[in-house]
This record gives sequence, structure tokens and C-alpha cells, in this order.
Amino acid sequence: MMKRGQIWIFVVMILFAVVMIYPFFFMINTSFKSNAQFLGASGHSMLSWHKLFSALPVGRELLNSTVVCAGSILIILIVSTMAGYSLSKLRSKASWIFFLGIVGAMLIPLQSIIIPAYINASHWNLLSGYWGAIFLYAALGTPFASFLMTSYFRGLPDELIEAAICDGLSYRRIFNKIALPLAVPAIVTVIVLQFIQIWDDLLVGLLFIQDPNYRTITVGLGALSAGRTTDIPVLMAGSLISAIPAVAVYLIFQRQLVNGLTAGIGK
Amino acid sequence: MKVIKRDLGRQRRRVGILFMLPALALVSAFLGIPIIQAVYYSFTQWDGLTAVWTGIGTYTHELHNPIFWRVLENNGLLLIGIPVAMILPMGIAFLLNEKVPGWKVFRTIYFLPTAISWVVIGMVALRFFAEEGLLNGLLKGFGLGFVHTDLLSSEKGALLAVSLTFIWSMVGTNTIIFLTGMATLDNSLNEAARMDGASNLRIFRSITLPQLQRFIQFSFIITVISAFTALFSLIFVMTGGGPGFGTTTLEFFIYQSAFSRGDFGTGAMLGVILFLIMAILGISQLAIIRNRD
Repeated sequence: MMKRGQIWIFVVMILFAVVMIYPFFFMINTSFKSNAQFLGASGHSMLSWHKLFSALPVGRELLNSTVVCAGSILIILIVSTMAGYSLSKLRSKASWIFFLGIVGAMLIPLQSIIIPAYINASHWNLLSGYWGAIFLYAALGTPFASFLMTSYFRGLPDELIEAAICDGLSYRRIFNKIALPLAVPAIVTVIVLQFIQIWDDLLVGLLFIQDPNYRTITVGLGALSAGRTTDIPVLMAGSLISAIPAVAVYLIFQRQLVNGLTAGIGK
Repeated sequence: MKVIKRDLGRQRRRVGILFMLPALALVSAFLGIPIIQAVYYSFTQWDGLTAVWTGIGTYTHELHNPIFWRVLENNGLLLIGIPVAMILPMGIAFLLNEKVPGWKVFRTIYFLPTAISWVVIGMVALRFFAEEGLLNGLLKGFGLGFVHTDLLSSEKGALLAVSLTFIWSMVGTNTIIFLTGMATLDNSLNEAARMDGASNLRIFRSITLPQLQRFIQFSFIITVISAFTALFSLIFVMTGGGPGFGTTTLEFFIYQSAFSRGDFGTGAMLGVILFLIMAILGISQLAIIRNRD
């Protein structure tokens, strides 16, 4: 049974929950209305969902988002696990310079480099397909991922590596056979953090994907809202469908997401 | 044996550097070189194709541009919301930490906006603050119909709307940070203080807060970074920087200068200013942490 004080806390928390969850209720509720119903008529309908699929190539854009996320995350994982292993277990005099570079890169805001990066990417012919966006997302995610991997690999005992060396394994094989399999929790954290970040991003996709056929769902939605569509239920249906994958990942991997977020505090 | 050991050392060094190279190449090509280019181009007049050296001309010109100061003022005004975006989650975290039945479900709900894109948040917020939106509906419902708001049509009002949306979406992140912090609290200190007759407020101020200091700092830095660099999409969707320059922040101004006006030199310069602000913040943060350890 709850005590009196607890009931008050419960009530306050419910109020907060309503404030936090209201936008989702609004999205779902509005998306199942026609424009006339949204403006006052009663009832619900599927009309806006039908309209959405003709206004926005939803399937194609969901696929594009998936490709861009998968590509960038794969690159981030490859380079950050290698870098983390190097910075924690293969330290040399050069390591602290690398580490400083990685930490320094975390301080660079996207908006500060986006103009030169955009011009460079157009010189390198990276703007026509997915590659420009994939590489930039990968570069933006790599510093923090490397930082996370470094602190994770630091937790692996050195004796483990030494024992493997005595067994005749090379540093490269130790990475593949021992370090990587042990790093799975950190890898999952990086995947979850980056998936949500990249899936939800507008600015890079807006500039670095020039062919509308390659647009991600978030960019498609941004373009739709900036365009002439004033049909709010259609926009809400689009919002909902774009939000579902990231919300699903969040609900499944909540713990990893929290770990990733608080990793920056360095407990 | 000694030879083997030296060989091993050499292998270690070689593999170590080899393993750094991919990350180094990627980060240099897409972040390192561009930031150096940004500094160079900030001293030029640049349309994306040809750059003409103007020295500090771009800077002095911009410092005399009233719009530039207007934009910085908007950034400053957004910072006013930061205490709210931290104190509110601190309170929520305390309530959650009481672990009443269902607290885990509440935690999940509060943290949910972290998974939602600013585009979606902006789109819903737009309807919330609209003249026919929920805000006015609520005011009317509470018998406050005379306070009819139309925030998005005035410059200051639109900035307030953006700011409130920003606070709403930071609540989850900061709550989680404080909750993590509270899990590390040493309860025996509270008990001891209570034995000595300390009041709840006194315990909170002298025992709880100092133990949470690291988490408060972290939440502060995350919130400030978000206020300066995470709001592009929100502004893009909600207000487009307007009305007038009412909600144009520095990051949005960079985008506008380069990609709407084609003035890449000014855009690069504004980017350098943003970088300097962030770097000073980041370095001072590091210095504080270093000093304490």
C-alpha cells in the first residue's frame, strides 16, 4: 500500500507524464483524422494516411534512412573499436596526441565545419548518392565512440593480453579473437546512440543528400513541412511513422542508451 | 628472449599506430581539415567557388552588423531557460528516486523525447502554440480565456515558444543524469546529519548537492551545448528563424548566410565564432574537472 506522501508523488508524476506524452497522443489522434475532422468535424478516418503515402515516398525514405544509418554506424564501429584498442592496450608516445585529437574533435560543432565540408564533398563528388552523408555522420560519431571504446577496453585486464601473447597470438589476432567479442556491450551502446542520432538528424541529410530519391525520412518530413503542405493530419502521420523506429530502438535498448549518455561523466 | 621482447615492442607500436589511422583519416578529412579551412575562409569573401582575401574585414564588418548582435542576443536569451531545464529535472529525479510503484514506467516516459527528432518535436510544438492550438484551449479551459496568446507571430513570443520546447525536450535527458547521480549518493551521511538535528533543506544543501556536483556540471554542459548547437532543426521547422530575426540563433544564422544568401565567407566566420564559444566552454569545463581531481 502507498503512504500518503507517496500518493502525492504519484499524482505529480502522472501530471508530468501527461505533459511528456501528450505530443504522441496528439500525433496519433490527429493522424487518424481528415483535415476537415481536424478542423472541427467529428470522427476518425484513414484518409490522411492514404494522402501521406502519395505525398511522401514513405517506403523508399525509410529504406534510405536505414541504409544511411547502417553505413555510417558500420564505419563508426570499425574505426572506433580499432582506435579504442590502440589507445588503451597499444599505447605509445604518439597515443596521447591521438587522444587529444579525438577529444578536441568532440568540441567541434557541426555548424562550424559544415560549409567547408559541404564544398569539399561536392568537389569529391560525394553529394549525388548516400556517401557524403554516410561519411560525415561517421566522422561526427567517431570521436565519442572512440572515447567510449577507449574507456571500455581500459577495463579489460592487461594480463589477458599478455597471456594471449605468450600463447603466440599477434596483437591483431588478439583484437579479433578476444577484445572485440568482449566489447559487445560497448558496441551495442554505440549502435543505439548513433542510430537515434542519425535517424533523427535533419541538417546533414538536407545538405549532403541532393538527389530526392536518396532522402531520409526525417529530411523528407522536414521538406514536406517547409513546403506547401498545410494538411496537418498528413504531417502528423508522417511524423509518427518517422518516429516509430527510433522510439522502438529506445524502448528496447533504454539501458544501453542511458549507459552511453552517462559515460561522459566518467564514474 | 630480449630480442623477442624488443620485436614485440616494435609490433605493439606498429599495430598501435596502424589501428589509429582509419579513425584519424576519417576525422581529419571531415572535421579536422574543414575546421582549418573554415578559419582560412573566414578571412575571405567566398561564394563557394572563388575566395578573395579580405583579412579581418569580414570580422569587423560583421561586428558592425546589428543583425549579428541580435542573433547573439537570441542565443543569450535561450540561455535564460537553462536553470529551468535543470531545476525541473532535478525535482523530477528526486520524486523518481522515492521509487513509488511504477517509477520505472515514469522514467521511460520522461526520457522518451530523447528518441524523437527535433523535426517531429517542432511540428507538434507548432500546433501547440498556434492560435487555434492547445495552449489557448487550455487557457480557456482554466477560465483564463482573456490571456489569448499568439506566441509565434511576435519576435519575442516565438523565441519564448522555441525556448519552452527546448526545455521540454531537455527534461528527460537531465532527469536521467540526476537520477544516475542520486544512485551514487551515500545515505548514511543523511542519517548522521539527521541525528545531529539538521533540517531536510540543510541536508539537501550541504550534503546532497555537493555529492551531485559532478552530475550538475555534466547536465549544465550538455544543456548549454544543446542550446547552442542542437536547435537548428527545431527552428527550421517551427519558425524558419522568424518572425524577422526573432528566433535566428548563431547556428541558424550560419546556415542562412551560406545556404540562403550564398555568402560562404561570412558563414565560415560565424562558424569559427561558434567553435570558439564551444571550445572555451569545453576547455573551462575540463579545467574545472582537472582542478578537483
